[in-house]
Amino acid sequence: MSLALSSQRAREELPPLLPDRATDSWITATIADPVLTHSAGRGWWIAMACAAPLALIAVVAMALVLWSGVGVLGNNTTVVWGFPIANYVWWIGIGNAGTLISALLLLTRQAWRASINRFAEAMTLFAVSIAGLFPILHLGRPQYFYWLAPYPNTMTLWPQWRSALVWDFWAILSYLLFSIVFFYVGLLPDLACFRDRATTHAGRVIYGAFALGWRGSTHQWRLHNVFYSTMAALAVPLVCSVHSIVGLDFAASLAPGWQETIFPPYFVVGAMFSGFAMVVLLAAALRRGFGFQSILTIRHFEAMALIILASSLIMTLSYATEWFSAWYSGQTADRGEVVFAFTGSYAPLFWLQLVCNCVAPQALWWPPVRRNITALVAISAAILVGMWLERILIIWNTLSHDYLPSMRRVFLPTLVDWLLLIAPLGLFAMMFLLFLRLLPAISMHEMRQLRHERSQR
Amino acid sequence: MRVEAQLSRRTALKLLAGQMALLASGCSRPREEIVPYVRMPERLVPGVPLQFATTLDLGGFGRGVLCTSIEGRPIKVEGNPQHPASLGATDPFAEAAVLSLYDPDRSQAVRTAGEISNWAAFLDTLKPRLEDLAARNGDGLRILTGPISSPTLLRQIDELRRRLPKLQWHVHDPLEDSAAHQGSLLAFGRLAISAPRLGEVDVIVSLDADPLGPGPMQIVNARGFSDRRRVRSDGADIGRLYAIESSPTLTGANADHRLALPPARIADFAVAIARGLGADLPEIALPTATAAFQQEVSRDIAAHRGRALVVVGPTLPPDIHALCHWINAQLQAPIDYWEPDDEAAGAPLADLVRDLDAGAVDSLFVLQCNPAYDAPPALGFARAAAKARLSVHLGCYFDETAALCQWHIPATHGLEGWSDLATRGGAASLVQPLIEPLYATRSSHEVVDALAGGVASGYALVRETWAAAAPAGGFETWWRQALQDGIIVRNRDQKAADLTPSLPQLKTVAAGSPLTLILRPDPCIYDGSFANNAWLQELPKPLTKEVWGNSIGLAPADAATLGVIGGDALRLTANGGSVSAPVRIAAGHAPGVLSLYLGHGRTAAGVIGTGVGANAYLLRADASFAIDRVTAEPTGERASVPSTQHQFSLEGEAEDLFPSYALDQFRRLDANAKTGEPASFFAPPPGSGARWGMVIDTSLCIGCNACVVACQVENNSPVVGPDEIARGRDMHWLRIDAYEIGTSDNPRTGFQPVPCMHCETAPCEPVCPTGASVHDSEGLNVQVYNRCIGTRFCEANCPYKVRRFNYFGYADGQEYADLGADVMRAHNNPDVTVRSRGVMEKCTYCVQRISRARRAADKDNRAIADGEVVTACQAACPAKAINFGDLSLKGAQVSTLAREPHHYSLLGHLDTRPRTTYLAQVRDPNPTLVRRPG
Repeated sequence: MSLALSSQRAREELPPLLPDRATDSWITATIADPVLTHSAGRGWWIAMACAAPLALIAVVAMALVLWSGVGVLGNNTTVVWGFPIANYVWWIGIGNAGTLISALLLLTRQAWRASINRFAEAMTLFAVSIAGLFPILHLGRPQYFYWLAPYPNTMTLWPQWRSALVWDFWAILSYLLFSIVFFYVGLLPDLACFRDRATTHAGRVIYGAFALGWRGSTHQWRLHNVFYSTMAALAVPLVCSVHSIVGLDFAASLAPGWQETIFPPYFVVGAMFSGFAMVVLLAAALRRGFGFQSILTIRHFEAMALIILASSLIMTLSYATEWFSAWYSGQTADRGEVVFAFTGSYAPLFWLQLVCNCVAPQALWWPPVRRNITALVAISAAILVGMWLERILIIWNTLSHDYLPSMRRVFLPTLVDWLLLIAPLGLFAMMFLLFLRLLPAISMHEMRQLRHERSQR
Repeated sequence: MRVEAQLSRRTALKLLAGQMALLASGCSRPREEIVPYVRMPERLVPGVPLQFATTLDLGGFGRGVLCTSIEGRPIKVEGNPQHPASLGATDPFAEAAVLSLYDPDRSQAVRTAGEISNWAAFLDTLKPRLEDLAARNGDGLRILTGPISSPTLLRQIDELRRRLPKLQWHVHDPLEDSAAHQGSLLAFGRLAISAPRLGEVDVIVSLDADPLGPGPMQIVNARGFSDRRRVRSDGADIGRLYAIESSPTLTGANADHRLALPPARIADFAVAIARGLGADLPEIALPTATAAFQQEVSRDIAAHRGRALVVVGPTLPPDIHALCHWINAQLQAPIDYWEPDDEAAGAPLADLVRDLDAGAVDSLFVLQCNPAYDAPPALGFARAAAKARLSVHLGCYFDETAALCQWHIPATHGLEGWSDLATRGGAASLVQPLIEPLYATRSSHEVVDALAGGVASGYALVRETWAAAAPAGGFETWWRQALQDGIIVRNRDQKAADLTPSLPQLKTVAAGSPLTLILRPDPCIYDGSFANNAWLQELPKPLTKEVWGNSIGLAPADAATLGVIGGDALRLTANGGSVSAPVRIAAGHAPGVLSLYLGHGRTAAGVIGTGVGANAYLLRADASFAIDRVTAEPTGERASVPSTQHQFSLEGEAEDLFPSYALDQFRRLDANAKTGEPASFFAPPPGSGARWGMVIDTSLCIGCNACVVACQVENNSPVVGPDEIARGRDMHWLRIDAYEIGTSDNPRTGFQPVPCMHCETAPCEPVCPTGASVHDSEGLNVQVYNRCIGTRFCEANCPYKVRRFNYFGYADGQEYADLGADVMRAHNNPDVTVRSRGVMEKCTYCVQRISRARRAADKDNRAIADGEVVTACQAACPAKAINFGDLSLKGAQVSTLAREPHHYSLLGHLDTRPRTTYLAQVRDPNPTLVRRPG
């Protein structure tokens, strides 16, 4: 109770979401000028120089998998799933936060959302795009991935609808399409703004073409608002469904440690958890790189920290529920799987996962930690590691410790596995860096709207 | 513009014509013609397989087989029910013979001095020398063979010896049981071969013997043993097996009671048993627990006089063999004895080496054996071989011995040439070729005939041998019948009539050395001659589940003394030789006993077998299987042999997954109390016709692996190679799970063959996104390869983990080593798809065989009869542990077995409703010993 009170008191002392001196033109200039008039700057080039080679490695690694076969990965007869699936779930999880922040916070009228929703959505787009590659890379015959779609074919065959993988195919596809549309619609007014402020002819033409003739008329604004709010309302169930279905990939099975009804909600929260952690990292980078201190304030970080803390508690509760139900079920296989997780071949990773996901975020109970960006970044990075470990361990612990002892085998990752884990981060970073140089990283029109709402109050 | 102006009409036409000519000549498919037979060979219908009876060789003895040939290609070996050494079943070596035939590493040309030569050139070299030798009555001419039983080859050698009296014939058998030979000399005063009739025995006492282990008698022994193990509710009694052994064997794994003792203590045990039967021998003090065990064994065999026997292994000294002959005589044990012909015995290899060193050998012919690899190095064959003026090697491979000889002649494979072979019991059968020799090869018969100056074919030579055996005037008819049956009914003429063993004088045994190394033939590559067979190299050894190599087994206590843990490399030194191999800790080894399989560490086996494992022959001083005074020191390095199981220890699951009952527990089981299938909301799936199902009796399975290879051959399962196995990938559709039951310090292995369960509610089916895993109308869970995109969800969701995934194109462009060579394609079964990369596969219940039976039945307008469909694994099983049939058929054997009280479903509580079900293991332990364990 005293903690909550002190936190309440502390918030009042915090700087506001926008500086008092902010005017519409100040907001627009702060966000647009770094893209349109300033050169990229040394920081951006250094970042790009780090990201681009990694991205190249990612492409090479993927080509290797496609050329030589999935055998170059560490999967074996027993542990048939491995890094690509864990990576997929992890990236989808990252991708979850963007739309969630945008939509859920819009619907619940969280004013602090305006500063972070644009780059969070971009993050979603890139993350989901990368995520979508992994299930294909995972396939034994990736050239036939489209057989999951009910396309008309001479064999008159349809996909097998009972399989969670088919649901998943639709979940990813619809989520990706939706994220693109939502992102684009939100971007329209800002694109028009860029068209108007562009210093080059090419800029004017290209931004103009993408702005679809936005003039900022009241009629257009009204349509935009209605459409955008409707999309936001649609987004929330979609965000929940996409990761629920990822959870069902595991839960709709017979394997001990997978066949659990808790999986869908637990996966959604897990996605939100890692997604917000990634947003914190990106926001911290933006704030530093672009000098957005006055727009991305400590209050934003604190709000996100609280969500991370809440998610961490739910995750911990979910883990505990899993262990309890394994014990309570009385099933040898389920109990054995949990014991294996704590003491078996991957136990050190499992303990590290618990430290990252359950223990480290507890520091966020203390307001000074929440307001310390360095600490927050460290905790977020830990969460991202922890959440990846969670995903890979869900796969490894269950598959390595299945019903028949004779087939229990350990997963041994290969170099290509590690490359496929690390290198796509470069791909992601490269796409994000390009995004920063091409589009407004913060929604200008929503920031202006926020200022108007504030000034009217 | 200018270019066009320069181009005249003439030039343009010329260029055009030239272009057309190029197009016509260069860009067409190669010419192929499809020509029908002018005269159709009899019975040859394209696509319809034919079976021919022939005989395959193992350790010099024959096992009759029926070989399936499709359009002239032998593709599958099955047992010949009429043959006494096959009884319709096979062993891993027979099953894998097809791969050796097509092995691209086989020697394909005559070689001399590192150059390719030919047979005519060899004969030219041979001729003057033969004339010279003939003038000297064959003095200096030596023939060295492996163990041989071929009547034709024995006849040829005999005739040659008669023509050249000073010719000497030597026999080298790396697995020769010399202790048994000397033992019979001690006991009977002459050489006698003994063969126990395990099917007639109530109590077997195995003293470090391995009658169920690999060898020419494995099938016969397994059949006899399992006949006394078949437990059904209608109540027959079953036999009991006591195994007293130094290192784990298949026999020990199948025993009701097993006691681990070092060889010297086993000898004491034998003496104590003999004393129990009234032998006048000095008393030997046994440790209390061992004595109690021995007294029970003594009581048990005494109570079963006439139906009890003692078998003794090659690790024990000759006097103990002799003693056991005496014991068996006291017990009136059901054992057949034969006296082999004295003439049929060649001189030992040691004599040859001695004469080589003395310069007494002019010409040496090494026929189908490999002493450079498998003779004790101390004997010095490799050094001595160079002293012969002419040395000639005949063999399927350019192996270690070939490299020492001046001439190498490629040998004909057993499936390519004419010959004959006999069983240990003396039943002879013909070897007929299934295919024209793939290369310009010669058989032993042809080489020996060349020594006699002849040029006869193997066919003529074999017919000549049997011409006398046929009834007068009817040779052709008789010959054809013999070929068709695959057996020439000729048992050993007379059993040795009055062999009365005398009680031998026992030698005082020197104080045992701290470490004894026990050598046993490898259960997969035998003496090393199968080392280049990838199917056998990748066959998990029954007890260790290791593949592609061998390891040193020892007890945990000894490992602690030596300061090693599993996977540490240990260097063994004995008799001047030294090998290093990884340690494998296995309870069940007697204290102070190390074990190592022979047959590994080949240096010139071929691409597959060279350099795999450690060569235990290097530690031998003679043909013994127990080597005393071995020193072991850790090298400090880590090494490992890939293994397909045993990466995790059991967590108490064995009780559910592999229930085991004592006989009296079994009798109390109530068939009606069995939990049936769990309740379901869903109606049973509509099925039409058959409901195929399999029942596997785990009491009978001895773990020999014949079914695993049979499945691999029948279903074109690829080999993945040691690296892939080490990464946890394998492609066997059928595996044998080994459960360690019993106490932790004296475990016993239970074997459970696991094919696909063909679950009625298969967990693999609903998770497949493309519907590649589906059910057919007869309840088979089938995999549609060309619909599979490789998500592997089916395998993730399979509780039995029986599905196998082509991570690489193991059979499709990314083969291991030379397995992708063109000639290798010939072994494939044309009725089974060769799977491509990225596709999931699994046991189909040999759906191609079901389909064949269905076509046959449809043609006759009848239903498929019970027992008409025989799966490959079922056909191979020497113990008849696997039963397959239609569960919907009234009175079918599988439905009868499914009503047995010890019938159970593996993981039945998951409601997968498997069609493959099991009969629990039933053993008959001695009640007194159960009450007083240890």
